[in-house]
Amino acid sequence: MSVGQLAGGRVPRAARHAARRDVLFIAAAAVMAVVVLVSLIGPFLAPYDPNQLYVGPVSGRPSAAHLLGTDDLGRDILSRMLAGSPTSVFAPVVVVILATSLGSVVAVVSAWFGGWVDAVLTRIIEVIFAIPGLVLAVLAVSMFGKGVIAPVIALSIAYLPVVSRLVRIGARTELGKPYMAALRIQGVGSLAICFRHLVPALLPAILAQAAIGFGYAMLDLAAISFLGLGAQPPSSDWGVMISSGQPSLLAGAPEQSVFPSLMVVLTVLAVNILGARVTEWAEAADR
Amino acid sequence: MSALVLELDGVSIAAPGADEPLVRGVSLQVAAGEVLGLVGESGSGKTLSVRAVAGLLPAGFETEGVIRIDGEDIATLSAARLVDVRARRLGMVFQTPRAHLNPLRTIGDFMTEALVTVGGESRGAAEQRAMELLAEVGIGDPERRMRQRPGDLSGGLLQRVMIAATLAMDPPILLADEITTALDVTTQEEVMAVLADLRKSRNLAVLFITHDLALASAVCDRIAVMQDGRIVETLKAATMRADACDPYTQRLLSAVLPADLRTGEKGSDPVLVVEGLRKTFRVRAARGGRRESFVAVDDIGFSLSPGGSLGIVGESGSGKSTTARIICGLERPDAGSVSVKGEDWTLPARGTAGRRRRARIAQMVFQDPYLSLDRRQTVRQCLREAVGVHRRSDSLAELDARVDELLEAVRLDLALADRRPRSLSGGQRQRVAIARALAADPEILVLDEAVSALDVTTQVEILTLLDRIRRETGVALLMISHDIAAVRRLCDYVVVMQAGRAVEQGPIADVLDRPKAEYTRLLLDSIPHEGWVPQRRIPARTQSLPSVATSTTPVAVPPGRKR
Repeated sequence: MSVGQLAGGRVPRAARHAARRDVLFIAAAAVMAVVVLVSLIGPFLAPYDPNQLYVGPVSGRPSAAHLLGTDDLGRDILSRMLAGSPTSVFAPVVVVILATSLGSVVAVVSAWFGGWVDAVLTRIIEVIFAIPGLVLAVLAVSMFGKGVIAPVIALSIAYLPVVSRLVRIGARTELGKPYMAALRIQGVGSLAICFRHLVPALLPAILAQAAIGFGYAMLDLAAISFLGLGAQPPSSDWGVMISSGQPSLLAGAPEQSVFPSLMVVLTVLAVNILGARVTEWAEAADR
Repeated sequence: MSALVLELDGVSIAAPGADEPLVRGVSLQVAAGEVLGLVGESGSGKTLSVRAVAGLLPAGFETEGVIRIDGEDIATLSAARLVDVRARRLGMVFQTPRAHLNPLRTIGDFMTEALVTVGGESRGAAEQRAMELLAEVGIGDPERRMRQRPGDLSGGLLQRVMIAATLAMDPPILLADEITTALDVTTQEEVMAVLADLRKSRNLAVLFITHDLALASAVCDRIAVMQDGRIVETLKAATMRADACDPYTQRLLSAVLPADLRTGEKGSDPVLVVEGLRKTFRVRAARGGRRESFVAVDDIGFSLSPGGSLGIVGESGSGKSTTARIICGLERPDAGSVSVKGEDWTLPARGTAGRRRRARIAQMVFQDPYLSLDRRQTVRQCLREAVGVHRRSDSLAELDARVDELLEAVRLDLALADRRPRSLSGGQRQRVAIARALAADPEILVLDEAVSALDVTTQVEILTLLDRIRRETGVALLMISHDIAAVRRLCDYVVVMQAGRAVEQGPIADVLDRPKAEYTRLLLDSIPHEGWVPQRRIPARTQSLPSVATSTTPVAVPPGRKR
């Protein structure tokens, strides 16, 4: 079998075939499907009012009535987790979408025009890079007030340099390749070169970065909530739940923190596995 | 017959999981002091065979048959003994020395490594020996070279360092895998001269792999011709033209261009006029991180008539590619002018509309079609895009009709239209690149080393194709090449460039048959031909040039030309 035959159009099929046997991939996809589904319809599935105090015993163990137990104020943990899932899952998604799209745009503009445009944008990106995400979040909260919106905006800005640097390097490499010169000589329009050739070439890197970014965003948002700067009690964002479960954790009732933590870990893990696989295939199809 | 230093007996090599072996039953014998050429096109299994000897096959490759180094069957040796035999009895030199040297280590580190680790010599003795070896391969001032790093040396010099390093253990045989393919003709001659000297002084045997039959017949005693993993015949180099009976060997031997391809329309107004072109690059200085300017193109001028063909020849770094890139609007010249059909093209076109208008007149074909085609596009998508740029109102069916026409024009099977570049051969890829350049029916076609990366037989096919296209469409060719033979066949006017300057230019017959400039004569003499004896012509040349890089990377400046 020649190398040509090996590569000729077989990679996507090989990827599908591999996916069918890839247990880790199937598990991750299943977890992700459940998480997304729950975050869409979860609030309607909640067996109790998530904010109703003393629907059960204080810090109750899991039981038939309360599948995941109750928290220190007697609220149903399962109901609270379900109710909190939309913000917990979609806030990081928004962060990733904002950071990735903005970062990619900045990077492509920077690499495309070069010269002083590149110099100015790169300096700005470097300044942003120097500010830690959490500090930026604290700053944003002090400006916009507490809530989910401020940390989401802050983290989007904080992640922008990471995406932008990575994509800029990739774009510069790609633009330096002879086929880009060939396209210019052919008279292909700049927009067509950019969106038909440059951006597709960068997609594997962008996808990989987005998957990693999701994990970080989810953890960071949870941390910000944990610090009391994000979503506020009585909201049941997973980060808030982990945070407010601290006293109970010490008192010997870990359920309130452990179950939301478990969800964060599972989701981040699943997204990273999916991201890694998707990137592998994109690269294989790209070779 | 003297003792055999290397013997392959019925060696077959199979890739993991493949049904068909890639190398089938290869048998070779190399006697002490003999140079055996192994010739064939890329993919014929030459490199695999040698790698099997050196133990450098990729993981999972299976070898059958017997390999004897100095009479010892390597299959019977213990693993430790085999490593030792390979380290002491074989020397191997590769095509790209730069890729095989650690850029962070000095030449001295590299040279002494084998002496210390395999030979068990002391550091001081090893350094002494390393300097002797460097001197032996004709490297001047070895003491200074030992402290330099690969980045400070030119390709030819690095290749000599590689040869010197393999001599450290005093092996009876050198495996040379396309060692001069990446080098200019003049540098090639110097490296070959070094090999010829070593052969005489050390009675060194060489297994010389190349796809260049002319070179092989000039430097080898015997030549084994390889095709599709088999050795089709083994011939004495001196009489091979007469003795060759296998059709494949005859095809390789006859893979020369049909003579007299050139035609030129005389008297008409030139389509392209270049005057006083000059371009300097700012490059990082060899030392200290300062920036210096490097003159890539210096006062170049010529004109090209419609349907004519002009060749620019020179070594790498001579500025010929930069000239082509300025004409196509990929670089801005510092001075001089480019005018096409009376229009000023000195500066790159501004905006898409300007580029599109120029695209109808001048097109370019690059050296490596794999890099100049978008790897994500199929052949049809690529050509459809090139056609669509100039026919914005055409329907998809109309575009496809034109694409089929183009594929027909470059003699590419329509069945290949849905493939991507990675599943095409080098020749097919270059045909796609040519079809793409023809999409706009240009009046000027710039060929930047368009056949240099291809096998001899493919080269001939592409050059013949280009000539036919020129006759049919009347396109003028501007051919950039270091291959004088190709330029001689295809062009009617030639510019010889050296270090950015045109040392000589004129009608092809005048320049190449009666060269006036010393440099042109040197270039012509460096081409392997019958009765060719490689000589060290300009020993000082490679020593004074800091580093010769490819056309796209910055070239370091000779001292004294500071900004």
